[in-house]
Amino acid sequence: MIVGEQKPLEEIWEMVKVHKQLTVFGCNTCVAVCHQGGNKEAGILASLLRMKATQEEVDIEIVDSGIERQCEHEFFESVRDLMNRSEAVLSLACGIGVQFVATKYQTLPVYPALNTTFLGDVIAVGHFTEKCQACGDCVLGLTGGVCPVSRCCKRLMNGPCGGSSNGKCEISKEIDCAWQLIVDRLEALGRLDDYEKIPPLKDWSKDRAGGPRSFKLEDM
Amino acid sequence: MTADGEKIEERQSPEKPCEIPPDWKANIIAFACHYCAFAAADLAGVMRLSYLPNSKVIRLPCTGKLDHIYVLRAFERGIDGVFVAG
Repeated sequence: MIVGEQKPLEEIWEMVKVHKQLTVFGCNTCVAVCHQGGNKEAGILASLLRMKATQEEVDIEIVDSGIERQCEHEFFESVRDLMNRSEAVLSLACGIGVQFVATKYQTLPVYPALNTTFLGDVIAVGHFTEKCQACGDCVLGLTGGVCPVSRCCKRLMNGPCGGSSNGKCEISKEIDCAWQLIVDRLEALGRLDDYEKIPPLKDWSKDRAGGPRSFKLEDM
Repeated sequence: MTADGEKIEERQSPEKPCEIPPDWKANIIAFACHYCAFAAADLAGVMRLSYLPNSKVIRLPCTGKLDHIYVLRAFERGIDGVFVAG
């Protein structure tokens, strides 16, 4: 899922305080899982902003709302009237949702309440870690299900560097060496011989090098 | 003042200072668990014990039901303090 972190309240306030009306708009899928941008968080942020407006003596009407996903047209049906009467939208979605709102409502100012951080998993309650960089040419089949692109700080494709020590990366003691994990995993699978094999060159043209990517189903 | 005489400015509170009227009393809202704190408040009522009128008790099925938004809405509507008992 997509992980995001809410921006500091001051930064959000500076963006939105020029408006007379603001809709704080949650996105109840990925960013709700990390407790940063769901409809509940939209309610909390709207409340904090209303109190901020009272403190600063700024006249601004702040309402909160939300939908299940801000990256698909269908979900916006239920908020058509709200969007039409909104002067500005503070979106708690990831960068995708914010841009979707901006594209869908051409004359409606939209602001991001979150910093979209990474594609990750939930390894424990409230603990999210990066696991994928959407490089477009998955190598997990070769690396025993551990991604060297997202989990090796140097994105190395051919084994650990000299900075790997006791299974940790030289960047931080908190970060596992991805190649140590790959070797351990291949060993556990009885596939350590595969580590010696030279894999084909990775196709980096499917990464960001070719500009923004798209994918279209021909049968739909 | 630090040891070398440098003056440190006190951090400003984000809230604007205002005059406090002499008869002002804090407006307190209490969220009480049905099974313990609210039962105690109920018992206090049965015993005809009196408490100040500037506190209001709201019964929750459990204090686990307390949500961020309840507390924030209370502050938004002018409550000075929130008391959670359970």
